Amino acid sequence: MQASEREALARRAIELSAAPATEVCVFDEDSALTRFTHNSIHQNVAQRSITVRIRAVAGKRQGVASCDVLDDAGLRGAAQRALEIAHLSPEDAELQPLAGPATFGTPPGAFVDATAQAQPQRRAEIAKAIFRQMEDQEQWGAGFVTTGSSGITLATSAGLVASYDATDAAINVKANAATSTGFAEQYTRDEDELNGSAVGGRAAGKARLGSDPRAVDVGDWTVILEPAACGELLSYLAQHFSAQSYVDGSSFLSDGLDRAYAGQNVTIRDDYSHPAVLGMPFDFEGSATRPVTLIDHGIGRHVVTDAYYAGRLGVENTGHALPAPNAYGPQPRTLILEPGSKSREEMIAHTKRGLLVTRFWYIRPVDQRQTIVTGMTRDGTFLIENGRVVGGVRNMRFNQSILDALRACEPASEPVRTGGYSYQCVVPAVKIERFHFSSGTEF
Amino acid sequence: MTYEPAAQRALDTAAARGAQYADVRFERDRSENIEVRNGRVATLSDQESIGYGIRAFYDGAWGFAASPDTSDRGIDETAARAVEIAKAGAAIARERFGEAPTDVHAGTYATPMEEDPHRVPLSERVDLLLGAEQLLHVTPQIRVGRAWMDLWRKESEFYSSIGSRIAQEIAQSGSGIEALAVDGGDAQDRTWPGDVGLYQGGGYEIIRKAALRENAQRIGEEAVALLSAPQCPSGTMDVVLGGSQVSLQIHESCGHPAELDRVMGWEANFSGTSFLEIDQLDRLQYGSPLVTIVVDNTLPLGFATCGYDDEGAKSVRSDIIREGILRGYLMSRDTARRLGRATNACVRAESWMHVPMIRMCNLNLLPGQTPFEQLFDGIEHGIYMESNRSWSIDDRRLNFQFGCQIGWEIVNGKRTRMVKNPTYGGMTPRFWNSCDAVADAASWQAWGTPNCGKGEPMQTGRTSQCAAPARFRNVAVGVGYAG
Repeated sequence: MQASEREALARRAIELSAAPATEVCVFDEDSALTRFTHNSIHQNVAQRSITVRIRAVAGKRQGVASCDVLDDAGLRGAAQRALEIAHLSPEDAELQPLAGPATFGTPPGAFVDATAQAQPQRRAEIAKAIFRQMEDQEQWGAGFVTTGSSGITLATSAGLVASYDATDAAINVKANAATSTGFAEQYTRDEDELNGSAVGGRAAGKARLGSDPRAVDVGDWTVILEPAACGELLSYLAQHFSAQSYVDGSSFLSDGLDRAYAGQNVTIRDDYSHPAVLGMPFDFEGSATRPVTLIDHGIGRHVVTDAYYAGRLGVENTGHALPAPNAYGPQPRTLILEPGSKSREEMIAHTKRGLLVTRFWYIRPVDQRQTIVTGMTRDGTFLIENGRVVGGVRNMRFNQSILDALRACEPASEPVRTGGYSYQCVVPAVKIERFHFSSGTEF
Repeated sequence: MTYEPAAQRALDTAAARGAQYADVRFERDRSENIEVRNGRVATLSDQESIGYGIRAFYDGAWGFAASPDTSDRGIDETAARAVEIAKAGAAIARERFGEAPTDVHAGTYATPMEEDPHRVPLSERVDLLLGAEQLLHVTPQIRVGRAWMDLWRKESEFYSSIGSRIAQEIAQSGSGIEALAVDGGDAQDRTWPGDVGLYQGGGYEIIRKAALRENAQRIGEEAVALLSAPQCPSGTMDVVLGGSQVSLQIHESCGHPAELDRVMGWEANFSGTSFLEIDQLDRLQYGSPLVTIVVDNTLPLGFATCGYDDEGAKSVRSDIIREGILRGYLMSRDTARRLGRATNACVRAESWMHVPMIRMCNLNLLPGQTPFEQLFDGIEHGIYMESNRSWSIDDRRLNFQFGCQIGWEIVNGKRTRMVKNPTYGGMTPRFWNSCDAVADAASWQAWGTPNCGKGEPMQTGRTSQCAAPARFRNVAVGVGYAG
């Protein structure tokens, strides 16, 4: 759906609303995913959706209803339900005024027409290139190729109309060999950049390198976390950077800003405009989203806000609101870990004995306030001895304070975009001293 | 609602485009969510979504396309897209994963409901949560109080090109409360009921049964008491797990590994594979003889109970673990066929937009014979733990580490002082083989899980595990805090 069509839909919903003030958010998505295992496609899907979310505001009361029936009757019905809910709701002292006119531009390159138009045959071609890499190594691949587009329009009866459109394409491959596995991924806005051969080859190479993995002792290790592992670990800090967590006391930053929490070479930002991301330049209150330095050379500097928390803390709003009302408060969107000067290869070359970790799995907080998390390695964990990767090791469980890890952390020089179903970030590999593994596996 | 004409159009279009089989699932989903946070109604929303998903089968490959556009043109385009996708997969297939279904079902199902939630005034529902949330704030140390309620209703119609015609109305309800106490750099969390609330199949009677107001003050007091409670001891000792934690243990260490798509590598890149390999069927001593786990999608109050699954197969009950031995899997038609079995109807989709896939559904540890109070008998030194706080398990579902919100030390058969940050870990079969008592039916209940993630694109599934408290011997306790 074109932005102009979403905007017309939003304006129509506002016209049909009887509420004193109305906000409309239109989400549309058209995405497709080709999933494979054993070097054949086993699941192949496309999903198209358009949702209209209407927030009716009456004084200090508000109600929300959404629908995907887009004719006048559907929009009017949703608007009526939202207003009925508003009338039945208690007053909300934190309710912010609706946003007025503002102009935001989609970052150039966020939307690539070829990605939006990609056909299943194109995804199958990429999958086939991955299968060739697997078969060359007598392995089987499991993973996906996905392409799609999404758009958001936020409009208010106070005059705001803001739209953002983006495309996304990705490859995800797990290579399976007789005694080992490997993993590689690629994210891009432009499907033309997808390279099944290269990504499949990287995954297959890891599986080959990790064959017949050995057991190593649990305990404290020097580790080099590749971007997928580093990014997943870092994502468990995201909640701490919310102004709501900061105020609640559940964030490590609740101990105070402008204090050292990480090593001097650690700088973490939230930046929608990073070239690898090209994200949405406004938030769901219609405020401009600003790049925010969260940890500056180890010092905790800022949290992200929405209008309410900016007012409460007496700071400039960073524009990180979720759709209102919500219980989650403002949230960072894209964490960026600033790169260092050494390459991944140099880091390996300068490691006497350590572990190279491709990817983590099932990280969960053990102690939120202390930032202790646990999780497993998977799909490519290797022993480094005297500056060389000498073979695979069996998977292990870690229990580790993220802040302690960041106090002994050196970022590498090559940041890439990585992510999971609930986060995206741009990070390089990192070298961490004294990373604690607590138990092992037989595989 | 009836979508029969639209469904027939979808099936006809799919056939005309070359599909050898097709089915279409129309759904109207309504979701009401209320959440109160620190005295404020933080969410009050009413979402309605109508759409359909079409599965098309061609030469051993499936294609799926979904859309909310119910116009003739929209249906034609979506059906054609499903077939085109199936053909694109078939064109490069080394392996044929699918076969066209041959079993035909016609029927209806509606969740039994004592009290229609939508007949309870919204103001009454909001007041219940505001009142319960207020009671959590027993001291200023309670920095966050939350109370929430979810009411879900799904009307669906399923039609297949071989004649299946199924209509269902599924109602699911859930609610809970949470208190976060903060002091001196420590933060302690308590929720009720269980760790995510009480979620079951049914109407407003499920909300009333959760007894939020009746338990709110106690939950607030426990969160505050945890701030000054001693750290849970570490070492190898016996543990007794409360019912909701046993439910989580079943979900993570039995449910997911028993999904046959995982076993066959179909989830390998994301959710992972499984240690319950097919050559272990009817051989593996998964647990002690006290451990019998069944999938039962006919169970009253089960969060995943329905008449038919989302590929149109009729709900049944079947064994997964019988007296400790691995006897079966959670299956779809295609995976069951590879095992020479019939499906046990464990296929679900999050919504009309999502492709149906194997989900856990209602997976139940059958109750034992021991009254709950007697579970502590014979324990010299151990920990009783309740309500999950942290859960992690490897991608084959063997090495797990779980943490609970609250624990009590057991000394010489008696529950004694409260301890904070209780954790335990182990290897799945060794842990279930150490189970030497399961509480009786008096403390057995269905614990719904409203947020189970699986698949790509990722889908959030609603599963259920019926469980009673249980006792496990010689477990590693204190992991994560003590190395």
